[in-house]
Amino acid sequence: MYRMRLPPWLVLLMPAFVILLAVVAIPLVLSLYSSFTAFQLTRPETITKWIGTFNYQKAMGDANFWAAFGRTVLLLTVALNLEMLLGLGLALMVAKVTRGQRLLRTMMMFPMMFSPILVGFQFKFIFNDNVGLLNNALQSLGLTDVAIPWLVDGNLAFIAIVTAEVWTSTSVFAILILAGLFAIPQDPVEAARVDGCTPWQTFRYVTLPFLMPFIYIAMAIRSLDVARAYDIVQVMTAGGPARRTELLWTLIGRTGYVDARMGYANAMGYIAILLSIVFTVYFFRKLTTARTSLGMGD
Amino acid sequence: MKTFAASSALALLAGLGLASAALADGEFAGITIDAKLIGGQQYEALYARIPEWEAKTGAKVNIVSQKNHFELDKEFKADIASGSITWCVGSNHSSFAPQYPQLYTDLTPLVPAETIAGFVGANIAAATLDGKLVMLPRAQFDVSALYYQKSLYTDPAKAEAFKAKYGYDLAVPETWDQVRDQAMFFADPPNFYGTQYAGKEEGITGRFYEMVIADGGKLFNDDFSPAFNSPEGKMALQWFVDLYKAGAVPPGTTNYLWDDLGNGFASGTIALNLDWPGWSGFFNDPAASKASGNVGVAPAPKGAAGVRTGWSGFHGFSVTEACANKEAAASLVDFLTNEDSQTLESAAGPLPTRTAVWDKVIAAAASDPYKSEVLAAFQETAKTAFPVPKTPYWIEASNLIYPELQAAILGDKTVDEALQNASDAVDSLMRENGVY
Repeated sequence: MYRMRLPPWLVLLMPAFVILLAVVAIPLVLSLYSSFTAFQLTRPETITKWIGTFNYQKAMGDANFWAAFGRTVLLLTVALNLEMLLGLGLALMVAKVTRGQRLLRTMMMFPMMFSPILVGFQFKFIFNDNVGLLNNALQSLGLTDVAIPWLVDGNLAFIAIVTAEVWTSTSVFAILILAGLFAIPQDPVEAARVDGCTPWQTFRYVTLPFLMPFIYIAMAIRSLDVARAYDIVQVMTAGGPARRTELLWTLIGRTGYVDARMGYANAMGYIAILLSIVFTVYFFRKLTTARTSLGMGD
Repeated sequence: MKTFAASSALALLAGLGLASAALADGEFAGITIDAKLIGGQQYEALYARIPEWEAKTGAKVNIVSQKNHFELDKEFKADIASGSITWCVGSNHSSFAPQYPQLYTDLTPLVPAETIAGFVGANIAAATLDGKLVMLPRAQFDVSALYYQKSLYTDPAKAEAFKAKYGYDLAVPETWDQVRDQAMFFADPPNFYGTQYAGKEEGITGRFYEMVIADGGKLFNDDFSPAFNSPEGKMALQWFVDLYKAGAVPPGTTNYLWDDLGNGFASGTIALNLDWPGWSGFFNDPAASKASGNVGVAPAPKGAAGVRTGWSGFHGFSVTEACANKEAAASLVDFLTNEDSQTLESAAGPLPTRTAVWDKVIAAAASDPYKSEVLAAFQETAKTAFPVPKTPYWIEASNLIYPELQAAILGDKTVDEALQNASDAVDSLMRENGVY
């Protein structure tokens, strides 16, 4: 009797294929398929109700969806740049510390250890207009005599959300940049000093180019995080009031799990993934360029 | 106090024999009932009774999930979607129930008619969807009455100033127009506000819904097409807008939900507060509330049509259609909502849904003026209370309506624009789902 024998390399790779298929490919294909159906969680039979591109057309024509899309891009841009600048500053300062640096590095990571839900509640309380810490402090110091609606006004709420995001994730940049600072060869830095460069020139033309690959890696990681921002915003404002702080995933989460319209939510999700892909490709290109300029790339 | 509570609990437990008498010994021996129940400290006292039912019937109860209703709702939807309804008894809520038309079985053939007759008729009517009794209500009936700070009505200077400005006597408000006047009169932001309201999600849609009814309108037509873009709807929304514009409510009110509102009134910075019965003890507790000793409670005020607001809801227990032991599950649901169970639960403050327990609770509160005032106000409001519209799309419609209400309140849109947009969105939703 003939028994088919698979090549050993395929047998060895099989468990990985099976796991990838089960946890990545099948859910991905299923969610993609459901985005072309009228699938509602509370009516399982609707998963077979094929409606073509109706969900995509609906999302494309929905002003609220595009407003949330734009807001997510804005949050991504502002939060990432602020985190990069603050993280760079923090890393440069910590790198100068000669005693207790380990302790400082550990303390720097504390915000990352908090659950985003907890961070959301913490900042929701700080920015509460009536009993919040910030308004009480401003009123006690005589800086204002009104209750500033931090989480109601669109711009102020955006600032509040950015603050929470920056507080919790600046250390991602700081840690990665710090690793970059430790990896910089000292020869070019010393040569720059001998050649009479000012500290700023040394930083701008020697240190920073060496750090750029690390910064782009942090940017790529955080862009994926912020493009999927949900927990903190859901707790602080739930996308409101009046959709003023609605982001892609607060909208998609509510559509899928509260309204139970999973087909439509998945369609919006697939459009939203484009955002992550664009940012990831952009940062990886920048990373390759930065590495090439340092003679590290191909 | 502790001794009193302990002796009360003992007395209640002693009374269990009566309720359990209807159960046959070992009737469901060997059966295990999986249950998904609402979790939280206030609900635990009732669950402590479950071993009594287990001992009597020989069945076992396995609580497989304990979460708040919003989390349970998501879990139920995931269970329905994945076809994994392996449990028998679930906590239910009148606001959520219409969303799961196929999940729960009709309890009418499983529960004796005299048991059902013991509940308040309006509650049973609200628990009946498409002719199916989908749950038995527990002693967690919710309708809102008006809490207020009594001292505001005993100050002659305030009374004189109010009359001079508005032309009528300052008294505890009986209409929502009076609430608007008084809220504006009492407000002194940022230290003191006239009133507040739930400003997001189902909270604001529910408040708007009851105001539309009180003003003589309706949220939906009989075919569930939107009916709130009407003169009554505009009048109702204008009430919320006026108060916000005048600074009579906290500027963050559009982000507030129940906890924010309860804590706000307890902080002593709110004059009038339409709120649920569960807060009554907290508001008058000196350790928790700055308003304690100064709290009055009045029935919900009336709208322009002379109708009281009365958006109501209640918790209940349901049996799944997929349950293999429906009789045993229904017996558990019956036990958890029987007279003894409701007496136990309502002793801590929540309102019962059984007529006989209402009588007991009122008699027990006779020596406590505050408690009597609370019960009288809520009982009066409950007489004309009404549940959410019985459509599976209530929550979804609410999610389309509330951002538009917020937009009008915050001034992003006019009342007319907001209601037109909300009405168009709900109309699309209903048409998309083939409702009409």
